[in-house]
Amino acid sequence: MPYVIMSDCIDITDQSCVEECPVDCIYVGERKLYINAKECIDCGACEPVCPVEAIAQDRRVPDDQQEFIEDNRSFFTDPLPGRDEPVGTPGGSRNVGDIGIDTALVAAHPGNG
Amino acid sequence: MTELQHGAQPGAQHAGSQAQRHEVDLVLVGAGPVGLYGAYYAGVRGLRVALVDSLPEPGGQVTAMYPEKPIYDIAGFPSVRGRELVDNLVAQAGQYDPLYLLGQQAQSLERVPTADGPDRFELTTSTGTVVDCGAVVVTGGIGTFTPRPLPAGEEFLGRGLSYFVPTLDDFADTDVVVVGGGDSACDWVLALRPIARSVTLVHRRQKFRAHAATVDAVRACGATVVTDAQVTRIEGDGRIEKVEVTGKDGGCVLEAQRVVAALGFLADLGPMREWGFDLHDNRHLVVDSTMSTDVPGVYAAGDIAEYAGKVRLIAVGFGEVATAVNNAAVHLDPEASLFPGHSTDAAPPPPQPAAAVA
Repeated sequence: MPYVIMSDCIDITDQSCVEECPVDCIYVGERKLYINAKECIDCGACEPVCPVEAIAQDRRVPDDQQEFIEDNRSFFTDPLPGRDEPVGTPGGSRNVGDIGIDTALVAAHPGNG
Repeated sequence: MTELQHGAQPGAQHAGSQAQRHEVDLVLVGAGPVGLYGAYYAGVRGLRVALVDSLPEPGGQVTAMYPEKPIYDIAGFPSVRGRELVDNLVAQAGQYDPLYLLGQQAQSLERVPTADGPDRFELTTSTGTVVDCGAVVVTGGIGTFTPRPLPAGEEFLGRGLSYFVPTLDDFADTDVVVVGGGDSACDWVLALRPIARSVTLVHRRQKFRAHAATVDAVRACGATVVTDAQVTRIEGDGRIEKVEVTGKDGGCVLEAQRVVAALGFLADLGPMREWGFDLHDNRHLVVDSTMSTDVPGVYAAGDIAEYAGKVRLIAVGFGEVATAVNNAAVHLDPEASLFPGHSTDAAPPPPQPAAAVA
């Protein structure tokens, strides 16, 4: 039941959402931000502040963005390219800093240019 | 608009008050909806109860984040505003006069063996208050709340800068700058406008997170509203004298003696991580069907509790805390019945209020 960051965030990474999140569950990749499904409390504080409207509740993600539901999840549950361990649930983005790596889906994305 | 009651909680002990020692049967860590309902049930069981919360008001997430949102899944209430639900829970628990220890974080929990009975606990809060208790129910939701700091001028905290408004009178005849765009920021503006000389609301975006009707009330109340701007500097000799506000189209310096930063909260499990619990996903306390954690005498209920099949809804938390409190009652007195009786039976006499031990 988490919120999900979709493709419009790619190469924008405004991070206004990071400032709003009360549980610090939005993590910074290289080209995009990701919401940790296990840490998100479904409060919705992030959604209205995104300048490119890239955030939606998983139940309301448009059809053409469905793959980002799983992509947000796998950013934390599967080891990212070049890493041996998954990010997991660090208990807050500030505990680990910028991750600096994207999922394969986002790394290969043509971007929003 | 409803009447604002910020900081007006009966029996509340706020941060900064003299450290005290209390003796109760049960401590509820977290005064959100589930903790408040647990206080009611503890009262039904004749237990003396204390509620500890890092926020200065009861209501937890509902008060801090969604006071104006209608909630639709409270049994028997087709719709109830967050604020009303909390007021009603406080009234329901209030029949038994729980001890509120607000504005202080539960920091440490020490087990104290006794010569002739089950162990007791000493719970110490961030203000040094010590509570001697026989059982604990953790109703801590998403953890302890800390206010998000103002990016500039943090050094004026307690010298004109505050995150809450404990007493409206402190703002009489002052020029106040309120920072933020949520319900709390707007509520402070509306509460302070009749008391302060001037009120300016500074929000870093155009769009407010607060309820639309609340924002309309703010715009109509005579306060100055500055959007797309931030507080970039606070100046003063000891106390706040000037506040620099910078926006997209330049800045200005306001004469002000008070700044209220209502930029929301960061929640974190906090010191409870060190209490020896079996943690799930680094944030939830694993419990069994009695709501007992793996620490005997310590129970958990509501969003913070975890077990197979858990559904994180307020409706579920109310049931869990009734289970937790009644099982805690048996932990406190193994001769006691697990079943509390029905609330429709003759009401038990209310217990004596928790006594402060010098």
